[in-house]
Formats: sequence, structure tokens, C-alpha cells
Amino acid sequence: MIPHLLSFLTFHPLVGSVVIALLPNSQKEAFKWIAVFFCACQVVVSAVVYYFFSTQTADFQMVEKADWITLSMGSLGTVSIDFILGVDGISLPLIMLSSVVMMVGVFSSFSIAKREKAYYSLYLLLTTSIMGCFLALDFFLFFLFFEFMLLPMYFLIGLWGGPRREYASIKFFLYTLVGSLLILIVMIGLYISVIDPYESELAKTMVHTFDLRLMTDGRNYLPDSILTPSGEITLLGVPSRMLAFWLLFIGFAIKLPIVPLHTWLPDAHVEAPTPVSVVLAGVLLKIGGYGLLRIAYPIFPDAAAEYAFTLAILGVISIVYGGFNALAQNDLKKMIAYSSVSHMGFVVLGIASLTAEGLNGAVYQMVSHGILSSLLFLLVGVLYDRTHNRLIDNYRGLISYMPLYTIITGITFFASLGLPGFSGFIGELFTLMGGFQSDRLPVWLTALGTLGIILAAAYFLWTFQRMFFGKPWAKNPTELPFLSDLNRLEKWMLIPLVLMSFALGIFPGWLFSLSDKTVSHLLKIFE
Amino acid sequence: MFPLATPSIPDVVQSIPLQNYVLLATTLFIIGIVGVLTRRNALIIFMSIELMLNAVNLLLIAFSTYKSDPVGQVFVFFIMAVAAAEVAVGLAIIVMIYRNTRTIDIGFLNKLKW
Amino acid sequence: MLPIVLLSILGLVVLFLGFQKSKNLLLPATLLVLAIVLVANFLHWNDMPSLYFKNMLFENKFTMAFSGIVIFSAFLIVALTRGFVDDESAQPAEYYTLMLFSLVGAVMMIGFENLIMLFVGIEILSVSMFILTGSDKKNLRSNEAALKYFLMGAFATGIMLFGMALLYGATGSFNLTAIKGYVMANNAPSAMLYVGLLMLLIGMLFKVSAAPFHFWTPDVYDGAPTIFTTYMSTIVKTAGFAAIYRLLSGSFSGIYSFWWMTLAVITVLTLLAGNITAVYQTSFKRMMAYSSISHAGYLLLSLTALTNQSQSAIVFYSLAYSIATISAFGVLMLVAKETGVHSYENAERFEAFNGLGKKNPLLAFVLTVSMLSLAGIPLTAGFWGKFFVFSSAADRGLTWMLVIAILMSTVGIYYYFKAIIAAYMREGELSAIKVSPFYRLILIATTIITLVFGLMPDFLKGLV
Repeated sequence: MIPHLLSFLTFHPLVGSVVIALLPNSQKEAFKWIAVFFCACQVVVSAVVYYFFSTQTADFQMVEKADWITLSMGSLGTVSIDFILGVDGISLPLIMLSSVVMMVGVFSSFSIAKREKAYYSLYLLLTTSIMGCFLALDFFLFFLFFEFMLLPMYFLIGLWGGPRREYASIKFFLYTLVGSLLILIVMIGLYISVIDPYESELAKTMVHTFDLRLMTDGRNYLPDSILTPSGEITLLGVPSRMLAFWLLFIGFAIKLPIVPLHTWLPDAHVEAPTPVSVVLAGVLLKIGGYGLLRIAYPIFPDAAAEYAFTLAILGVISIVYGGFNALAQNDLKKMIAYSSVSHMGFVVLGIASLTAEGLNGAVYQMVSHGILSSLLFLLVGVLYDRTHNRLIDNYRGLISYMPLYTIITGITFFASLGLPGFSGFIGELFTLMGGFQSDRLPVWLTALGTLGIILAAAYFLWTFQRMFFGKPWAKNPTELPFLSDLNRLEKWMLIPLVLMSFALGIFPGWLFSLSDKTVSHLLKIFE
Repeated sequence: MFPLATPSIPDVVQSIPLQNYVLLATTLFIIGIVGVLTRRNALIIFMSIELMLNAVNLLLIAFSTYKSDPVGQVFVFFIMAVAAAEVAVGLAIIVMIYRNTRTIDIGFLNKLKW
Repeated sequence: MLPIVLLSILGLVVLFLGFQKSKNLLLPATLLVLAIVLVANFLHWNDMPSLYFKNMLFENKFTMAFSGIVIFSAFLIVALTRGFVDDESAQPAEYYTLMLFSLVGAVMMIGFENLIMLFVGIEILSVSMFILTGSDKKNLRSNEAALKYFLMGAFATGIMLFGMALLYGATGSFNLTAIKGYVMANNAPSAMLYVGLLMLLIGMLFKVSAAPFHFWTPDVYDGAPTIFTTYMSTIVKTAGFAAIYRLLSGSFSGIYSFWWMTLAVITVLTLLAGNITAVYQTSFKRMMAYSSISHAGYLLLSLTALTNQSQSAIVFYSLAYSIATISAFGVLMLVAKETGVHSYENAERFEAFNGLGKKNPLLAFVLTVSMLSLAGIPLTAGFWGKFFVFSSAADRGLTWMLVIAILMSTVGIYYYFKAIIAAYMREGELSAIKVSPFYRLILIATTIITLVFGLMPDFLKGLV
């Protein structure tokens, strides 16, 4: 076991970010390769974390804990904010996913041609905050990374984006910020309510804590506090714990995104440059789902169980609404953005089912969607680099010019619409199975969710047919020289991701074995 | 010689009920407030403010006498001294404006939106 | 009480330094005075709370911390004046002396034990500020601001004095402890006490520009020379809040149920008025004026809660707010001078920052950090300020006010980001601005303080 492995995983890109910021502006090539180096390093370190990870236990592993801030708050006692990192079966798959996606994102960033220094510096900063989000076990630390993630993302969209970038970036920022403020309210309520029994014993005073592990245990709550598990306290006529759960849920649902809180997503995707879209769809959306699994559900299981049906309805609405909207889009990026909404709906459905299949499926679906949506946005980027046009109507017969591109796009589309043998199929299958098995959800609701798969088939196949088949513009492909097939860099980005999706589809047990223990431990609270 | 029949000042002050002082002071104060809010000439606004301060002085003296506590009257001296300083600065500002604009009507001061 | 004595004497020394031909000595001399006073302020840090000057002034850690903030802010602001050497008609010696004297008033407001001292302190501070606001004698905007500030200030003083007189009539004393004794002894306070307290509060809320008594603020802040706007929006405000806190916690905590609703309504109005109006501003300086109103709202939230955390919460908040405001105005002064060459109109608008990020990365970074801190983004001092304020409100159970405050801080982010957007995302013809090393040092220092307190708030919070 290597000490401080997780700290290293989280913070080494920060070093890269600072290094890039300190180098002179002229070193344009160096910026790229420094970023590649640090992202590659992250892939390696997350592989090391995987190597040391034990699937036999549901506990957090490789936990690092250090005192950070201790504040004396008068009658409230002491507030202790700790630096706690740890990894378990839910965060590990997402860590590996995000290190891979960030790596691919760097390669895709090679096409960025202005203010490279700021770009790569911010990109590595974003990497740090994403990793921190997945690893933090202290609510405050999580919140810090969660909120801090907005800044680099805001600038990445706002400085390198398309024509309406300012609007899109501020919209993204405000939406997510409202979400994080809702989370902040709950966080304040929680820290007022929860005390650390051991520390309190030692310090002879009430030591309030942000430790997520302590927050899951009802015995650590002060008897008369706002969020006490007895649930007698009401705020504005609603039991305070229910209210807190909903605030958390909305906070994460904005990130996820769930209809009707999704409207920032299409705008952000359309305006963002390709690598930023990749990171946004591939990793950032998962933080919403991760937050539900890590924070909202374990801390408020009572509310989660009570509102399972409502949440599942929201999930199904997202699936169907996203699907129909995707069908109606003419902009390729918007189409994919809405397909993301639809696919993330499956995650919510799986989580709401509160069954082992559903929760495992949700984790699986997040990883699978991370890979597939990255692929989809990369593919759009390939086309956009050549033609600077994203409208589906403007393309036909692409197969004649770009055969390899067509093949990879075809595979990706089929994988995304849930063809057996690819990861998308497994994720959707398991979340739906969870929905059907759950005794909290009616069968018709989940059945409605299956509509999403049909819709996905419709919009992907229709798009594929419109863009790649049909009469080519020119008889001779050489007449359109800019429509060249994939270059080497693009192949190197795309093919590994396709293979990963394929491998996950063939051997789903590998991923399930990682998450299974943790999920079944989580489900014990609900029995 | 003559018997010293003049009553002491506190007795004179106390021959009128406290309520009357409070009412008078309040009336003066309200006149001052209304003056500040309605007049447009900077000097007259200024005078209204002085009226407000003097209403306070009257009130303090009345309370002080009724409670036989000198602190209230000490406060009056403070108010008078500070008000004098304030007048000096205030008039200087008004003169400065008059030099620049040849008017002291606050309606003409519209470089900044209210 | 060393700071009061030292500031008065050394202020006179600085005034007489003005007789010298060379004005170059004034700035270092003033900075030296402030440094000495800052040290003197903390000499008695570990002593027990004590009363001075025949029970007129009070000193404990809280008042020392606040005096420290005020003096330190003054130090930073004086350092940013660059000696007023650019302006021929300026009278630097007088300005510095007035700044030092006004600090006497601020320290008296913070440590008052007797309402007489509160009055004298407020007047010393205000009268100095009236003069400084109008210091740009030829500029009509500055004239107008001075007159408005003066009339509104004197008006507020009148209301406040009437309140004090009524309190005196009701309780028979100006002493905070005596008033507290009276309040504790009489369960049902008389109408006179209530009206007196209300008018006293209104007068003081005027000074800290809480809604609905805030209407003078944008004009005055906009019209005054930027350096004195900085002074007003940090020092006057900090001292004002310390005074209100001393008043409420020192005398009237016993009748909390009596006044909290009034203050709650004012808080909500202030939050709404400050934040929502700030969104519509095109001038950065005016936006900062409204932002100062909105920050008054957050501070009032903590005062409304008045738990025993409120004290340290407002100390921290005031410091975070002051430091961030000083760096923002510091950048504005540099940029406005540069932009003012091209177009006088744009000098203090958001457009002034266009293209700042490209040519002046340091200034853009300083501006960004200060905006983030004012907006309350984590890892800056401003976040912790808001956090402490919000948790004191949560502790008191003021849920609905908390919700409004949190919503309003989202609105705040929108207008603070306008400056960041201008600095990084807009093209501008701004050239590289020459910044003197000392000025640069001050800006870097404020930025670092903001970030360090953002990372380690317990460093300061534990002290008070």
C-alpha cells in the first residue's frame, strides 16, 4: 500500500496547472505535453488504486484523514472540518472513468489554438476538482471541490466556446450554483445536527463534523437538532428531513440533469469546444449521480424510500422527454445533449428502484454513458473540425468520403442505443430490471421507461441514415478534399473508447464486482 | 433686604408637566423632518436639521431636570459643540457648490441620479 | 485606548508635516503612524475586558479586533493613495490628517460604552468623511456627493439623537450597562423606550446604508473620489456595524423579541434592494455601491440572529469584505486612470475592464479574486464570512431569511461576474498599465490575505 495515494491522485494535476501557469507564453508545445503527462499520470495512478482496491469489503479504502479547520462556534460547540479522502465501490469506477476521459480530452484539446497556456492550466485545475469530488469523504471538502469545479468549467466554456458562449457559460454557472447553494443549506443543517461522538468525548464539548461517514449513522445526530432522524421537526410545514433531501436532490439533479432542470445542458454543449463537451458529458454529469449515491441516499434513507416513486417518475420523464427532444433536433450536438438527458434518466430510475440490480445498474450506466457520450462528442468534433457545421440536414452520403469514420460512428450509435454486446445495453438492462423488481415502483412506470430505448433507436438510426447514407454531394470523393477520413490522433482517441465500451459489454461482471459490495451495504439501510 | 423668593430653575422647569416638553420637542422635531423632506434650498434644509437638533436639546434638558441627573445636560453641550463643527463643514460645502454653480437649489444637483 | 490617543496626537504631527515644501514624506509618515497604532491596538490583547475614561469606553477582544480591522483597512487604503501626487490641487497633509482623525471616530464607535461616545464617534467619522467626499473641489459630481452625504448624514444624526434622548428619558442613563439593567428589570418596556431604540437604530442604519435608508449611498459612493469611496465603504461600514452590534448585544439582548422583527424586515429589504438593483448597474463603481448595501444586508442578518456566534461572524465578514473591496477599488483606480485617457465616460464602467486579462494578468487576477470573495465562492475569505453569517442565522432558526439570503447571494454572483467577464472575455484597447512596486505589493497582499483566510479561516476565527 502506498501512503497518500489518493491525495496524490487528486492533487498532482494541480502541480501541472501551476507549472503551466508559470511557463512563458511561447512554450505552446510544452503546455500540451505537460498536460498529457499529468493526465497519463492520473490514469496510471488510478490503475494503481484499482490494483490495491479490495472487492471483498464495503468499507472505504485507502482512507486518508487529516485535521484541517477547527472552529469554535460558541454555544454550538466546535466545528471540525477534516481532510478525508477514501475510495469505495461506487467511486472507484467513476475515478477510472474520469481519468480516462480526461486523458482523451487532452488529446482532443490539441485543436485548441488560442490562449493555450490558460486553457491547459484550467483543464488540469478541473481535473483536480473532479477527482477531489469523487474522493472526498468530508461533506465540506466535497462541497468545496463541487463548487470549485464551476470556475474552470465556466472559463473553459466562456473563453473557448462558440458564438453564444457568454450566455451559455453564465447559464451553466448560475444553474449549477443554485444547485450548490441548495446543497450548502443542507450542509449547514447537517453540521448543526451531527456530532462526532469520539472527538466530543475527547474534547469534552460538542464537536460538530462534516464527516459523511458519521452523517449516515442516526446515532450521531443531536436529539433536538433540525435534521434529527426521529423526523419530528418541521420547517415551513414539511418535515425537515424530507425538505433537506429534496434540496439535495434538486442540487444534484441540476447537475445530472433531470427534466425540468436540464435546460442549461444543451446550451452548454452546443457552445463548448469539443474537449470541454467531452468532459462535461463524460464526467461532470456523473457527479450528480454520484452525489445522490454518496450523500443524499445514505444520509436521508427515510426520505429516499418515501419518495422513491416520485423520483422514479422524474427519471422516466427525463428518459422519455430527452428521447423525444433528441428526435426533434437538427443540431448534432443538441441531439447528443438530449440523448444524455435521456440516458441519465436511467441512472435516476435505477437509483430510485432501491434494488441491488438498479443501483449497480446505475453505477454501470454512469460509466457506460461516460464512455459513449465522450465518443459521441468526439465524433461530432471530428466532423466539426472539417466542416464547421453541425446541422444534420447539411450532411448526406458521408460514407463515401469517410468510411472509417462511418464505421466508428455506426458502432458508437449502436452501442448508445443499447445493442447487446456493448456497455449501453447492460446499463439500461440492469436499471430497468431494478425498476421492475422494485416493490416501491409500479410496473407500468418502468415499462414506460423502456420507451427510452425505442426512442434512442429511432433518433440514432434516423440520424445515421440521414447523415451517412443517401446520395453523396459529389460523385468523386476527391472533389471534397477537406472531408478526409480519420487521422492518426483521432483514431487513437476513438478506437480505445470503442474497445472499452465493447469490453464492458462483454464482461459486465468486472464492473459489477467492484460496486456490488458497496451497493449491498448501502441497501441494508433501506431494509 | 428682599427675601430671595425666586424659585430655583429646576422648580420652574418642573412647573410644566413633562408631557408638554415631550410634545413640544416632538413637534419641533417633526417640523424639522418635514422641512428637510420638502424644501429645496440647501440652506433651509440645513436650518431644518438644526431645528431637529435643538428639539433634541430641549428634550434632553427636560428629561435631565426631571430626573435630577446632570448627564443629559452634559450631552446637550456635546451636541451643541458638534453641531457647530458640522455647521462649519456644511456651510463650507454649500459655499463650494455655490462657487461652482451659482445656486444652492438642490434640484440643480443632478449629475448623479438619485 | 492607546489608538485614540496616538491617532489624535500623531494626526496633528502629520498635519504639521504639511508645512514642509516636499510632500513626499507625508505618505510614509502616515503609513508609519498607522503601523504604530495597529501595533498599539493589540498591545493589551491578553488583558481582561476593561473600561476607560470614567466608563465612557470599553475594550475587549471584540473591540480590539474591530479596531484592528479598521486601522488595517486604513493602512491599505492610505497605501493606495500614492501620495495624491497626481493631483495638483490636492492637499495631501489635510487628507491624511482627516483620515487619521476619522479613525479616532471609528475606534470610539467600536468601543463606546456610553451613548455620548457613540454620538461623538459617529460625528468625528462623518464630518471627516463629508470633507473628504467633497475633496475634488472643482468636480461637480464630488460637490454634489458631498452635499448629499452631508445633508443625509446630519439628518440621520438628528434622528439618532432624538432616539438617544428618548432612551434617556425612558431609562435615565446613557450608559449601556445601566440601560441593560433597566431593560432587564422592566419586563414590559415603555413605548418611549421602543420608539427611542427604533429611532436610534434608524439613525445608525442610515450610516451603514441599510434599506430603506440606503438611497443616498449610490450617489455618494459614485460621486466621491474613488479612494474615499473605498474608505467609506469599508471603514465607515465596519465601524457602524460594530457599533450596532455593541448597542444591541450590550443593552437590548434582553428584549430580543421586541426588536428582531423590525430588524428582520430591514435585513430582507436591504438584501433585496442591494442585490437586485446592483444587477442593473452599468457603472462598476455604482455596482460596488449597491454591493456594499447588499453586504450590509448579510451583516444585518447576523445581527438579527444575535447568537453568540454573531460576534465572530461579523468580525470575519467585515474583514473579508473590507479586504476584497479594497483590492477591487485598487484595480479600478488604476484602470479608470488608464481608460479615462481614451474616454471619460467609460472610466468607471464595467467596460473599463475590457481586455484586462490579456495585457495585465496580475490586475485581472486580483480583480477576479476580490470579485469571487465578494460573491462568496469557496476558497476565498468571503465564502467563510457568508458561511458564518448563515450558520448564525440557522442557529437562531431564521430559515426564511436564510433562504432569501442564499437566493440573493446567487444574484450577487451574476453582477460580480460581469466584471470578470469584462476582464477576460471582452476585447479592449487597454494597454499594459504601469503599476508601482509598492502598489503592486499591496494588491498582492490583499489577494493573498483573501485566499489564506479562504483556506484557513480558523486562523482568524479562533482569535475572537
